[in-house]
Amino acid sequence: MSIRLVLVDDHAMVRSGVRTELGAAADIEVVGEAADVPSAIERVHALRPDVVLLDVHLPGGTVRPGGKEVLQRCAELISADPEQSPVRFLALSVSDAAEDVIAVIRSGARGYVTKTISGPDLAAAVRRVAEGDAVFSPRLAGFVLDAFGSGAGEVASVDDELDRLSAREREVMRLIARGYAYKEVARELFISIKTVETHVSAVLRKLQLSNRNELTRWAADRRLL
Amino acid sequence: MVAGVAAGVARHLSLPVGAVRIAFVVAALGGGAGLVLYIWLWALVPSWEQPPPTPAATGVASSIAAGGSAGTLPGPHGVASPAGVPGRVPPAPVSTAHPVPVPAPGRRSSTRIGDLVVGGMLLAGGLTVLGSQIGWQVSLGATLPLFVVLGGAALVYTQLDEVQGTRWALSGPSGRGAALRVGLGLLLVLGGVLLAVIGSTDVAYAGRVLAAVAAMLGGVLLVLAPWGIRFWRDLGLERDARARESERADIAAHLHDSVLQTLALIQRSSDDPAMVTRLARTQERELRSWLYGGRTRTADGADRKASRLHERVDEVAEDVEDLHGVAIDVVVVGDRDLDERGEALIAALREAMVNAVRHAGAPVMVYVEALPDAVEAFVRDRGPGFEVGEVPADRHGVRESIIGRMRRYGGTAAVRSVRGEGTEVRLSMPDATGESREDRGDGRGDGRQDGTQEREVVR
Repeated sequence: MSIRLVLVDDHAMVRSGVRTELGAAADIEVVGEAADVPSAIERVHALRPDVVLLDVHLPGGTVRPGGKEVLQRCAELISADPEQSPVRFLALSVSDAAEDVIAVIRSGARGYVTKTISGPDLAAAVRRVAEGDAVFSPRLAGFVLDAFGSGAGEVASVDDELDRLSAREREVMRLIARGYAYKEVARELFISIKTVETHVSAVLRKLQLSNRNELTRWAADRRLL
Repeated sequence: MVAGVAAGVARHLSLPVGAVRIAFVVAALGGGAGLVLYIWLWALVPSWEQPPPTPAATGVASSIAAGGSAGTLPGPHGVASPAGVPGRVPPAPVSTAHPVPVPAPGRRSSTRIGDLVVGGMLLAGGLTVLGSQIGWQVSLGATLPLFVVLGGAALVYTQLDEVQGTRWALSGPSGRGAALRVGLGLLLVLGGVLLAVIGSTDVAYAGRVLAAVAAMLGGVLLVLAPWGIRFWRDLGLERDARARESERADIAAHLHDSVLQTLALIQRSSDDPAMVTRLARTQERELRSWLYGGRTRTADGADRKASRLHERVDEVAEDVEDLHGVAIDVVVVGDRDLDERGEALIAALREAMVNAVRHAGAPVMVYVEALPDAVEAFVRDRGPGFEVGEVPADRHGVRESIIGRMRRYGGTAAVRSVRGEGTEVRLSMPDATGESREDRGDGRGDGRQDGTQEREVVR
């Protein structure tokens, strides 16, 4: 069964470019497109795709960035529903601003990739998200390490499990930040790819649920990744 | 003859100046109507060389005048007559009344002359007091208030003139000064009136008069308040609009200087893919740093040498990108100041980047992390890879510039290359007091696989 995908971006050029690049992947089918916040919400509700490729900055909304509003207004589709498979969002953006990244991830996106990603990599990321895993680009991994404090000394002072990364998760993040693919990470750490995916999903959950207020402040302070 | 009003009227009505003046004088002698008319004309008719009123409020006088006689009358070019008429003194005494619009030195100079008038008035007041003390036959009650009032009025009017020139910009140091002086002038006028009232009547009566005057003033203020508030709000709106306008102009200018120029360059060199890539990449970087603020790396930032780790890594990566036209993805975690050991790491990192873009091409990924006791850096490419042991001994790139340099400063360097999968250079520079990262036992970096050539060079 192919993956049904909705493409949300306000630039027609980008949409057609992504369409072309994903055209090479036989198992991914682009079923709809949207150019702004209202039409994106409408399309996603009407089509119930497996994956939404979501641009972070979208016109037509009341919340900034626009991608965040789409995620918020589609929240009931993201949460696991026993009857139907959930809709999963993958953020695709050129934005480098840390606040934008944190905004879409914390609103429920399963990953964040930049528009410089190659076609095959994007297809792989879509597949991964469709399976319910998280997609971390090197940049996002670096962001996580920075936000959660890479220094070993800082970890001891935080007690909530959500507010820190385990040593293994940190290792996985570091390798991803160094540009390793998941399977290379698995080989490097002598673990299975499935375990890598588990670690990455755990990190994503922490990133979404942690109420560690440094996270938000960090993102605001540090406007550049 | 005093403020050039006669000359202005003469020009407007195409009559000889002399006739107009005579008419004024006659009217003034016969009951003072000419004098009143003269003063009104002076106050309400815009002067010839006054800058054309801008759409929004330029000042009370000119907007009223625009309603009445929106004419362009010749300005104050009359002959100066130092007859002690308060307030208005022509900015620059021109020899004769000349109906030709001569570019006047502007109103600003009137302030200084106005100041002289104010000083003169106050001095005259002081002299009157002094004179009465030494038995001079002066009616103190009549003259002192007169001088005080005239001085205050002169002060207010010159200030209004000045402020009007700067579009009522009552903010900023000069604006505050002007407001202060207007207030002072008003105080002088009020004081003079009070002096006159109290001096001529008994105190109880003066009190009643003052109360009545205060009530009247309050009523007038009440009536004028809405108008005044609207005036200020319009002014604020206009200022906001202007700020937005200038911001947009800034953005437009920036886009023109950077993006449009680059697009033009790209069109011209469209047959050179490497050049196009380089131009686009450079422009992207520049625009990003401009949009997302943070570090202000502009064209003039080239000579500035950054001393923080993050900035230096970005800087070096940009240099290498520019030189070779290959994109480098940089991820930096943490930040810290750089000492000379840090600089050595940066130099080795640069060499590793150059090797990667030269032998492997995009994508090149750089990851730098500032740890509590060390700085680690990784350069990874997905090129063809090579046998580390087979690198000829005379190749200095890796051996000298990377490994040798790191060793001299007490760091470590390792090169790991897998045929067909790419190469990774790892650099680690511990702090001067810290021990090497290899002792931390974090299980990283020892994953030797089949077909992997790895060499930890210095421990």
